[in-house]
Amino acid sequence: MATVRIPKQKVILCGDYGVGKSSLFRRFTNNTFVTETDRKSTLGLDHIDREYDVGDKQIKLQLWDTGGMERVASVTSSYYKFAEGAILVFALDNAASFHSLSQHLLDIVTYAENAKIFICGNKSDLEGREPEVSDEEVEAFCEQCHSLISATYKTSCRSGAGVEEMFRDISRQLVHANRSKMELQALEQKSFKIDTACDPTINEEASSCSC
Amino acid sequence: MNEEYDAIVLGTGLKECILSGMLSVSGKKVLHIDRNKYYGGESASITPLEELFQRYGLEPPGERFGRGRDWNVDLIPKFLMANGQLVKLLIHTGVTRYLEFKSIEGSYVYKGGKIAKVPVDQKEALASDLMGMFEKRRFRNFLIYVQDFREDDPKTWKDFDPTKANMQGLYDKFGLDKNTQDFTGHALALFRDDEYLNEPAVNTIRRIKLYSDSLARYGKSPYLYPMYGLGELPQGFARLSAIYGGTYMLDKPIDEIVLGEGGKVVGVRSGEEVAKCKQVYCDPSYVVEKVRKRGKVIRCICILDHPVASTKDGLSTQIIIPQKQVGRKSDIYVSLVSSTHQVAAKGWFVGMVSTTVETENPEVEIKPGLDLLEPIAQKFVTISDYLEPIDDGSQSQIFISESYDATTHFETTCLDVLNIFKRGTGETFDFSKIKHELGDEEQ
Repeated sequence: MATVRIPKQKVILCGDYGVGKSSLFRRFTNNTFVTETDRKSTLGLDHIDREYDVGDKQIKLQLWDTGGMERVASVTSSYYKFAEGAILVFALDNAASFHSLSQHLLDIVTYAENAKIFICGNKSDLEGREPEVSDEEVEAFCEQCHSLISATYKTSCRSGAGVEEMFRDISRQLVHANRSKMELQALEQKSFKIDTACDPTINEEASSCSC
Repeated sequence: MNEEYDAIVLGTGLKECILSGMLSVSGKKVLHIDRNKYYGGESASITPLEELFQRYGLEPPGERFGRGRDWNVDLIPKFLMANGQLVKLLIHTGVTRYLEFKSIEGSYVYKGGKIAKVPVDQKEALASDLMGMFEKRRFRNFLIYVQDFREDDPKTWKDFDPTKANMQGLYDKFGLDKNTQDFTGHALALFRDDEYLNEPAVNTIRRIKLYSDSLARYGKSPYLYPMYGLGELPQGFARLSAIYGGTYMLDKPIDEIVLGEGGKVVGVRSGEEVAKCKQVYCDPSYVVEKVRKRGKVIRCICILDHPVASTKDGLSTQIIIPQKQVGRKSDIYVSLVSSTHQVAAKGWFVGMVSTTVETENPEVEIKPGLDLLEPIAQKFVTISDYLEPIDDGSQSQIFISESYDATTHFETTCLDVLNIFKRGTGETFDFSKIKHELGDEEQ
């Protein structure tokens, strides 16, 4: 019965509509990029697992996308539940998307208070244009948030630059942060997921023996 | 919003969210709107606790109940039957991946002012203090009959046609007394009143089987409860809908449901904007002129700092008070959840008492339930109308759900949803249309 389970860590993407969350998700999923935001290509996609090796440990990073709910409504609070990590995404060519990070941060600390939080400035491929958000501003933001932000990254989903490095680093940070916590959790009485694996007919037989 | 949709869904209560998810999965273009700022409508779990106090017009509680945001208080208390329709819907739609559950620790029934564990198998029947020695034997024989019963095999019917003969007839066949009939019908088959006695016995047999099959799945009790409260359920289905392309709008007032030729719906108006659609699915609160009242339900949320007496200090409990025990026509339901489900601050419990209103003074009606929970630190009482649509929606293409009833589980909720889906699409929902390879599944 004792199968080795690779610890699974739920990581959610947060940020304004159009900053590239689904592009990050797609890079994570199959390392592709589509120029026009073609909602259809993520239709039906929910979350994706990928395994990373961190030293002698393995970790399964489970990345979740919002499903576009933030476009006109808010993301459901249940999206945040059980998250171990959250990536705050903004676009380097869109200052407004950076300024609304504080709102997304508030949601994360409210609904997923134990999550480690990371910042990702996407669209680093500006081709000569000046970014609207400077490194100093990002630093200042992190300082204001005291020690809430674990790390910051810059990525380009168009070229793929920095994306893999970011997920690798996040895996490493989560393994270190959770080492002791995961051991503690194993002791607690845990809730469970329901699935078809629990076949009632097997249990029925078991209970009918007890009479 | 100014686009054309196959269906517009109004309200994000559980029923509407399941429908929205089912429609999106079937390939329909769906717009889902709620006038509130939050998901869940009537089936939301309210957080933080201050919000609940505000909702009932009370002063904020201060530090008394611990940290406000540790609370997620359900407005409508219900449990999931482990082998019931909702669990099947959750599994088939994959929504189960968003949720985690705990078993409810105990299922009890009220008799003569005290509570006793609901006996469900032969062993428990013989150990139960609900019956005398000879009655126990008769009840045991009855349980064996139900357990061996197969609808498709008349040999197991034992000279009794349960599709024609009524339930009273089956009780009489086994010689069960009124008292045993009472807890069988109300605590095992979960009927709300005694009308089932005159209906074909097969209905009751099915329900007792649902109870015992549910119990067989995770032990302890047949009931499950989601971590962080019932409000997680509508949100899970809303996410399913969004993942399949559904568009969500919250905090959006609905000013008019626009009708066209022959009274058929053509769109929904909010301020100056009109979204066109072929169909509308909504809860009764969005179409006041198209629903009628069919009674009232009283629900009382109670905050306690202790478990219910004589439940072995269970952190979650369900108690059914059969109507006859307290001289009523409908049962009273009592449920208890606690900090172990992430719905209350550490050391606190959320109790609920609910029933169908029968008199002018409903708060007196639920007293037997409240007495079981005393001492109660804080009470929140709601009396709401039970509304149902005046037509089936085929003419107007407006499909309206019924209000949530006083029952303690989601079986009637799911029946209503599947029924509405069939009326709206002409199809029985095809579970196989949902891709199973979405993300991954538990290994």
